[in-house]
Amino acid sequence: MGRVLLFQGLVGLTEAMYLWLVAAGLSLIFGVLRVLNFAHGALYMIGAYLTYAVFRAFGGNFWVALLVGPVLVALIGWVMEVFFLRRVYRADVAFQLLLTFAFVLILDDLVKLVFGPVYQSPPTPRSLSGAVMIFGSPLPTYHLFILAAGGLVALGLWLFLEKTRWGLLVRATAADREMARALGVRSSRLFTGVFMLGAWLAGLGGALSIPVRSISPGMGELIIIEAFVVVVLGGLGSLRGAFIGSLAIGLLHSYGIVFLPVFELALAYLVMAAVLVVRPWGLFGVREA
Amino acid sequence: MAASRRTTRRTFLKTGAAGLAALAAPRGFGATPDLKLKKPIKVGCQTILSGPLGGYGEFMRKGAVLAMEEINASGGVGGSPLELNFRDEELKVDVGVKNARYFVDDWGADFLIGIDSSAVALAVGEIMPTLNKILIVTHGATEKFNEDLVYKKHIKQCFRICVPVYQDGIASAFIAKDLPVKKWATISPDYEYGHTSWKMFRATLKRMKPEVEFVGESFAKFGTVDFSSHISKVMGAQPEAIFSTEWGGEAVTMVKQAKLFKVFEQTKAFMIAMGSAMDVLQGLGADYPDGVWASGRYYFGYPDTPQNKKFVETFRKRWQSYPSYVSETSYAALYAIKKAVEKAKTLEIDPVIAALEGLQVDRPAGPCTIRKEDHQAIYAVPWGRIKHDPNFPMPILGDLRVAPTDEYYRKPPFPPVEA
Repeated sequence: MGRVLLFQGLVGLTEAMYLWLVAAGLSLIFGVLRVLNFAHGALYMIGAYLTYAVFRAFGGNFWVALLVGPVLVALIGWVMEVFFLRRVYRADVAFQLLLTFAFVLILDDLVKLVFGPVYQSPPTPRSLSGAVMIFGSPLPTYHLFILAAGGLVALGLWLFLEKTRWGLLVRATAADREMARALGVRSSRLFTGVFMLGAWLAGLGGALSIPVRSISPGMGELIIIEAFVVVVLGGLGSLRGAFIGSLAIGLLHSYGIVFLPVFELALAYLVMAAVLVVRPWGLFGVREA
Repeated sequence: MAASRRTTRRTFLKTGAAGLAALAAPRGFGATPDLKLKKPIKVGCQTILSGPLGGYGEFMRKGAVLAMEEINASGGVGGSPLELNFRDEELKVDVGVKNARYFVDDWGADFLIGIDSSAVALAVGEIMPTLNKILIVTHGATEKFNEDLVYKKHIKQCFRICVPVYQDGIASAFIAKDLPVKKWATISPDYEYGHTSWKMFRATLKRMKPEVEFVGESFAKFGTVDFSSHISKVMGAQPEAIFSTEWGGEAVTMVKQAKLFKVFEQTKAFMIAMGSAMDVLQGLGADYPDGVWASGRYYFGYPDTPQNKKFVETFRKRWQSYPSYVSETSYAALYAIKKAVEKAKTLEIDPVIAALEGLQVDRPAGPCTIRKEDHQAIYAVPWGRIKHDPNFPMPILGDLRVAPTDEYYRKPPFPPVEA
């Protein structure tokens, strides 16, 4: 029984990785730009579709598609930030929500127009369709790959924020936007860069999902809701919070299916509510003065 | 196993003979008499047209459009042409009810057909007395529709042309009893259809083979994109066989992920009740493991009658694809409407209902009777095993087996299912 439960946890952690990639970008963008990007789930969806399109165009090479797809999503992020979002930074939060929600609708319909309303199901790359025995059960190689990819992204983001000059500027701007600007940080370029990075992360999540999940319009709405829960739970703007929050929601989901199947959907929200009662700023968030 | 083979042959001969008889009958003989009904006769069809299950709606639309074109080319319904209108049901109860109201109140529908979700079928069924039009369900499978709404609550406007969960939960047990496995588990949808099928399967199988055990179950919410946690939970109970009622794109995703988790190597049998739907066959393609037991509400390779072959060929010519089961059920629904209206010689509700009750419809799936007591169409649909045949662009079913309809269709007064 113990081994079965450990295995169940491991499976939950792989599901958490997709969530982490979306939540990381969402949290990063909020931390720096102070915009709650409703369209982040749509970017995840676009990432899946563009990667699939590249996959088909390049004769079914998943690895090429995985490199190209998320970069295309980052470029869409550039268009969104430079031509649209930039105009509403000073506006009321309601305008930001309206604008990003408009992107959800536009991108959803665009996908329906181009790829059709019906789901697509690309094949799993042969090199990753094996399985490895862990805790007495076969865990798909692809799931191990997802765990590694999610972990690498976490490590990469940490190194970037802590060890590079750009990372320092990002942290400074997130901590005190006015002060950073006064000290000469060119915030408009920084904002564009951060938004593109966030879009790339969501696109990567979508791209990684296509070999095992089916893709369909509206797939972004499912994940954005969970990503919001993660970000609120972990603390808005905190990457560490997004990481721990994703793992927590992934495990809750996976153990919920075993122990509380009737209640599994509500579980994540209950935990979020409980955390918010005790720490309204989230597990790793910073208390607003 | 021998017993079920024998029934297969008998049923087969019977349906074959009926098919020939139907062909000999004066079909399309001269022009249909003009009954001077209102023109055109409007049929509102709602089905799932978007999302992971959207493939179903496309197939339903194609079957209905084909029937409409054929009927209109040969004189329409009593001289009036058919007109179709489609709306996305989204598998949501409120949307389904809104669609039904729109069709009747705003568009002027004379008949309603379609509906994929059991919950939507029940909700729309409940308002049919208010709308006072005839609804013919072509997919939603809950037994509560015919047993409760029609038989117990006497909502006479409701009919169903497709086989209900008896196919998923009872006919499946006729297959399962002959398999060399005792420990069963399920991964199925967490709504009416999934729960009710599993309950019927357990009850029927236990009755026929008392030594079976049901060791695990996991029900996945509508919209599940990752079945990993469900698969690991169920496999943790070490079942010898899996029974599933996942369908459409969710069945495709589940099978792909189950393959990754090596479920097909660890179990001896796998059954997917709606696994022979065309969008699943096409969606999985070469990835569909050999030997999986699958069924549907019609399979294009059964029965082996000239009428069925003609339907498959016409459908392929029109749509460049083999028909899915919802294509056949929506096709059959329009022909049932034609036959009933021409028999009643009016569009008034009560005479048309009377004409539909007990009506014999010769459909591609074989001859069927619409049972008077619960307005349920009775016909046989096979289960079979997935195989890959180079002559077909998708996997097909081999080793077809048919349970006798008399044994697998529940009968009035519908005693409760004990599981």
